[in-house]
Amino acid sequence: MTATQLNATSSEADLEDILAPNGGAWNDIDSKTVELAPTPLDRQPSAYVQVAWKDRGHGKISELTVQAITHKDTLALRIQWAADQPKRSINDINAYADACAVSFSAGGDEAELQTMGSPGKPVVAWHWRAGTEAPFSVTASGIGTAERSADHQLQAHSRWSDEHWQVVFAGPLDSLSFSGADGIPIAFAIWCGANSERAGLKAHSPGSCQLTIK
Amino acid sequence: MNTGVTTKHQFAMVFDLNKCLGCQTCSIACKTQWTRGNGMDPQWWNIVNTIPGKGTPKNAFNLGGGYKDGEPVAGELPGKAEWGEAWDYEYDNVFFKSGDTNERDYLRPRVHDGKPPKWGPNWDEDMGGGEYPNSYFFYLPLVCMNCENPACLEACPRDTIYRRDEDGVILIDEERCHGYRFCAEACPYKRVYFNEQRVIAQKCISCFPRLEEGVAPACVRQCPGRVRHVGYLDDPESHISKLVKTWKVALPLRPDFEVKPRVFYVPPTMPLAFNDDDEFDESQSRFPMDEMRKLFGPDVEQALATVESERNKVAAGGQSELMDILISRNWNDMLGPYKLDPGKLVRPPRRGND
Repeated sequence: MTATQLNATSSEADLEDILAPNGGAWNDIDSKTVELAPTPLDRQPSAYVQVAWKDRGHGKISELTVQAITHKDTLALRIQWAADQPKRSINDINAYADACAVSFSAGGDEAELQTMGSPGKPVVAWHWRAGTEAPFSVTASGIGTAERSADHQLQAHSRWSDEHWQVVFAGPLDSLSFSGADGIPIAFAIWCGANSERAGLKAHSPGSCQLTIK
Repeated sequence: MNTGVTTKHQFAMVFDLNKCLGCQTCSIACKTQWTRGNGMDPQWWNIVNTIPGKGTPKNAFNLGGGYKDGEPVAGELPGKAEWGEAWDYEYDNVFFKSGDTNERDYLRPRVHDGKPPKWGPNWDEDMGGGEYPNSYFFYLPLVCMNCENPACLEACPRDTIYRRDEDGVILIDEERCHGYRFCAEACPYKRVYFNEQRVIAQKCISCFPRLEEGVAPACVRQCPGRVRHVGYLDDPESHISKLVKTWKVALPLRPDFEVKPRVFYVPPTMPLAFNDDDEFDESQSRFPMDEMRKLFGPDVEQALATVESERNKVAAGGQSELMDILISRNWNDMLGPYKLDPGKLVRPPRRGND
């Protein structure tokens, strides 16, 4: 699996156009395909989950495409993936909504994104779930430690069309730690609601991906 | 699997199924006290089901969860159609129908899509089992079992569910809960509800704020049939300990789930069966014993025999500690350390204008 270099392009388009999931501002922006894989089942922090999902299969979404734009002090990411059975909300006791997240190292030291960070090396994530009005800002220092909070500076806008989700995240650039010239590691996760995926049962990007700002 | 857990006390309940009327006063007491908030309309933390029956939710005890030989068992989580919704009625048709018509109408229940409900709490109450004249049924009240090996607690990947050190009551931290619902799948009794509006799991909390004030849970205190004993399993003088450990007449429900529940049941001594000559058959109960064993485990026959024997002793004019406990002439004796009258509590001022 090759390393992915994602360059955020500076854009002077209207912010409204950038925030629109099918906005024209995204037309000429470099797009990267990121391969996804199921999270390792043996890392699920519950024997029940490991047993119950042993033969079920999770991480059904195999790839996504991502683009990045900077607009003044804002970083916007557009994530797209195929979803022929969209789950747009939690509309039943046994229904799970489609969701996606993008995570970054929170501190100067590079955190292990695959394990949602570790003690002393936290990650931050932007988390969108279909059917919710606002995305969550998430901090975590290891599997099972995610803490959500409402972040009024963080936005997410979504659209499902032609059997694909398009989700645009937009957040303050200075909330991310761009300490090195090579940018920061970034990772992705998609939850397939039709497959009852939630918590650590998801497709994640196991390969290296680096976000740089042009 | 959590084993060898020690807490300061072991909070437990015993329900005497010979006395349960199926009146659902316990259910209403709980509903009134705890489940009137947002998204809680369909929740019945306390429910009385009818046996034989499919339960609440439908097929509740056949949906997996719990453990088998110490390993977790995958569970299913039914949807709202199987749990039963809080249905509404066609008030407009009955009370506000326009036009001059003599057409009669009545209040029909409707679920969210406007259709009639097809399942609900204790839906199959009037079914029963057996064939006349050997028909049979009994009522089975259910709450959170505060299990010693709580499958819900183990299943949560976020350590959202915890056991109180002071009494072993199992609680969900609603602030931490992300609504993943592994707990609801893993509970073999299906006593964990999902709040769709708040995207969190919720369940019976054993009225812990009442316990902390020395007041018995609402379902216990309101029970008109004196079915429910409450107290500490670790107190040898408690009704709980005497019924479970000394007399061995209170048994765990579905011990094959391997969760070691701390709610125990005195199994029902069913009426005798009729034989082909319409005479009582003293050798047979109407309720099939293999079904009784499935519900209450292999000790059920001994428990029933003990109750029967002590009953006969009293009927013959003798004394029986067991019968005194089960009859509970003094209601307060059933409440263990939680005898305080909630009406005598100093209540905090109400919040808001409600």
